[in-house]
Amino acid sequence: MRPWALLALAAAPVGAEPVVTSDGPGKVAVTIYRAPERRTDEAMDRDWLQGYALVTEIREVTLPAGRATLRFEGVAAGMLPESALVNGLPAGVHEKNLDAELLSPRNLYARMWGRPVTLRRRNARTGAVTEEPAVIRSGPDGAMIVQTRTGFEATNCGPLRDDLVYPEVPEGLSARPTLSVETDSPMAVKATVTLSYLAWGFDWQSNYVVHMRKDGRADVLAWVTLASSDSTGFVDAAAAVVGGKVNREDSAPGDRWQDELVLHCFYRPLPPPPVPPPPPQMAAPMAAMEEDIVVTAARRKESLSSAPLAVTAVEEGLGDLRLYRVPVPTTVAAHAQKQVALLQLDGVKLQAVFRSEVWVRNAFEGNPTRLLRLHNRKSDGLGRALPAGQVAVFEDFGVRPLLAGEGSLRDLAVDEEADIPIGEATQVTVTGEESEDGEQKLTVRNANPFAVRFEAALMHDADDRIERASATIVRDKGQDLWRTPVPANGTRVLRYRVHDGNDGH
Amino acid sequence: MRKSTAVWLVLATLTPAAARADAPAGQGDVALTIYNNDLALVQDTRELALPGGRSRQEFPEVSAAIRPETVTLAGEGIGIVEQNFDYDLLTPAKLMDKAVGQTVTLVRTNPATGAETSESAQILANNAGTVVRIGQRIEFLGGDGRRVMFSSLPPNLRASPTLSVTLDTARAGRRPLTLNYLSSGFGWHADYVALFDERAGKLDLQGWVTLNNTSGTGFANAKVVLVAGSPGAMNAAPNYGRARLVPGNRMGTESANRERLGDYYLYPLAGRTTVANAQQKQVSFLSANGVPAVKRYLFRADWLENETEARSADTVLQFSSAKSGGLGDALPAGAVRIYMRDAHGQPQFIGENSIDHTPMGSVLAIKTGEAFDVKVQPNMEKRDRITSDEWVRTERWRIVIDGRPGAVIERQDAKEFWRTTMSYTVTNAKPEPVKVEVVQRGLDRWWWYDLHVPSESIKGEQRSADERAWLVDVPANGQTKLTVQFDTRY
Repeated sequence: MRPWALLALAAAPVGAEPVVTSDGPGKVAVTIYRAPERRTDEAMDRDWLQGYALVTEIREVTLPAGRATLRFEGVAAGMLPESALVNGLPAGVHEKNLDAELLSPRNLYARMWGRPVTLRRRNARTGAVTEEPAVIRSGPDGAMIVQTRTGFEATNCGPLRDDLVYPEVPEGLSARPTLSVETDSPMAVKATVTLSYLAWGFDWQSNYVVHMRKDGRADVLAWVTLASSDSTGFVDAAAAVVGGKVNREDSAPGDRWQDELVLHCFYRPLPPPPVPPPPPQMAAPMAAMEEDIVVTAARRKESLSSAPLAVTAVEEGLGDLRLYRVPVPTTVAAHAQKQVALLQLDGVKLQAVFRSEVWVRNAFEGNPTRLLRLHNRKSDGLGRALPAGQVAVFEDFGVRPLLAGEGSLRDLAVDEEADIPIGEATQVTVTGEESEDGEQKLTVRNANPFAVRFEAALMHDADDRIERASATIVRDKGQDLWRTPVPANGTRVLRYRVHDGNDGH
Repeated sequence: MRKSTAVWLVLATLTPAAARADAPAGQGDVALTIYNNDLALVQDTRELALPGGRSRQEFPEVSAAIRPETVTLAGEGIGIVEQNFDYDLLTPAKLMDKAVGQTVTLVRTNPATGAETSESAQILANNAGTVVRIGQRIEFLGGDGRRVMFSSLPPNLRASPTLSVTLDTARAGRRPLTLNYLSSGFGWHADYVALFDERAGKLDLQGWVTLNNTSGTGFANAKVVLVAGSPGAMNAAPNYGRARLVPGNRMGTESANRERLGDYYLYPLAGRTTVANAQQKQVSFLSANGVPAVKRYLFRADWLENETEARSADTVLQFSSAKSGGLGDALPAGAVRIYMRDAHGQPQFIGENSIDHTPMGSVLAIKTGEAFDVKVQPNMEKRDRITSDEWVRTERWRIVIDGRPGAVIERQDAKEFWRTTMSYTVTNAKPEPVKVEVVQRGLDRWWWYDLHVPSESIKGEQRSADERAWLVDVPANGQTKLTVQFDTRY
């Protein structure tokens, strides 16, 4: 864990309140929520994470007596300031401010209006550089017109390439949006402050690795993948993710944009001057800009057979949502993704089913969908709340496991049933025909050397009725179903008629 | 560099007295009244020394998003001759335009030696190119290695928009002048933080006003009043969405103990505050603890909805803004964010929603999310044609709304009717029993509304012509199946 953040009593402007800067959290907790619009079968886009996080930071600050401004640095760049909450200040929070007037070429130019700067002029042909003092005389909209010893001049409108050199950074411009609060303390005090806020640019998903065993059961290993595209990292954070659907009002990021400084000349628009060198980086030790992928628990390699998991996420209820907590402190790094085991279940009962949805009275030929059917209950080796995510199915081929299919799972509560489509069959085919007298015939053929379980949903209008079927038709979940085993290299046939609701009586 | 420092000092003295400091120096005593719809009234009282007779007074540092037609100026013993709002900004093209007829200096730099030579030129015209007279020759400027030096700036071009007023003053002397104007670029809304304790059925609510200044100008030490309303926005359509989406919302009739302006509530900020440009500022205005709140589950099925997998029920939080049994205040429009404590006691975010301006005494029902463990699967079990005789037999179950049946269908009008059996399987994976409100909508089929409900496994409540609701009790880790028969014309 990092030591308590160092605090600096910044030099206050004359006649203003003292400014106390807290440069980073001591302890931090990050709870990540899924992107509200992302489908479960859609992978996270690491460059454009649309989920969000609740960040809770504990900071220790030293406040002077009386009114003071407390600035929080090192917060997430995607912070939604209206969601910020500050607790633990001696006399409460007077007001909160988010200052978004950033240090940019345009703002620098605008703030230095009427003040002396240095004009650096380079002769484009000879490369000779001269400097002379000047005063900015125009606003940032349009052009850079300056006053020099010799008169008034629009810069960059001649053979010289001109740049402005500023003597200082004007007060009030910050490197990035900074949250500050006004406090009023009866005496100088050391306070432990809890700052919590929502921030965009995070996401998580669960991934299920299903290993089909020879005995027909499966071993399931689930991972939680959490990702941050924020430029601030959180060291040794108490990390958690939330499953379920949380209502959000749209307040997507990106509505705070800065005007650029675009300069024009008499003759033609000129490219903007080079951006001044960035201000010294805030002390953000975790701001590793390159993407790195961290796998916390030892990821199983060649064989998918059991390797002990050191750390597994802990599940708890949170109102009508599910909270999965990483039980050890972990670092949610900037621009990074990490995985933590969610659960490991061995000997899970999964049923492989071939299923077709068949519109009656239509001649067709097709391949059913291969799906895995599960009942989320203890007796089937499951019985845990399963957050939505992608499913990869492996089967052993000789000594190596091979990918046998991929699909996705919705949020599944305990005791729910689910079908996971994992691909299209190639060796099982379905044919539908209609004879002249209106009898329907459905044929399923199995070219595999093993028996398969087949299910056809007979789709029809609400007032149609299936009649005189040659096999049992069950009604389940609002559908008429024909369920039959198909032996190895065998064929099964269903004959039925459709009673048309529009025929009248 | 010693020499250059000296020149700086010279230049600094050239700078007009109104050199821009960090705090806008031109502003006086400022009061801001901010409305919800990108609008603010700015009152700015400045102390000016006026000469007798006619004079032109400039008011720098007004809002860059000022609506100049709304400006009024009040002061003792002054008459206004005219008001000007100058937004003709200084750009190189305008500088050249206004220099037509004047003499400028052209500076040429020898590319080899760097030596500069100057000559005088008169600008003849600036029409898609600048034509100049140098001595007796006529040339045009084409970026050919010459720089143009102007001896002065044209008087009416400015670095920022400026208001100027020509006054007729009876008596010279210092006096306060009050400038009133409307400006866009301001707005505010409320943000609520609700910490919900489900076991106790209580809610702690904090309200913050969040105000934004994107007007381009900052205001220091201003008196700020926020008005919960949008004057002028008269085409606002009624909000059809929310009441239909979440039943249980009811607007109140109580008056809150706050200052008001006509129909609007006022929220003055205590003391004086600085509203900087590009700043979002939040100030607390409401704090209520232990407000009774209940959680409800709501599920709405479409007409003839038939699902192969269950859908989650909506989680709805309901509380009152009434004086007794509620939080006892009117709520300006904004976003409500709801938190709950996790097993470690740390507040976690569980959802948010937006509310309209809500009078005191209202009941608010806010959807926070969808329940992971409470789901409903609607299925159409059967749909059959029935005869008109059968239709008549179920007439005693005709649904009557507000003491009045719908358009009763005469037997001779129609020979066929429909009987639809719907089932709603409500599952609960939570370790405690829940109540789920299941609503069937889409019952109002155009003009021929006539509905019989001959059987239902739980007694329902007809909420409107379109919706019938049932309150379904589901045991812990269990399920309840609701079955309803609807007889309809189609």
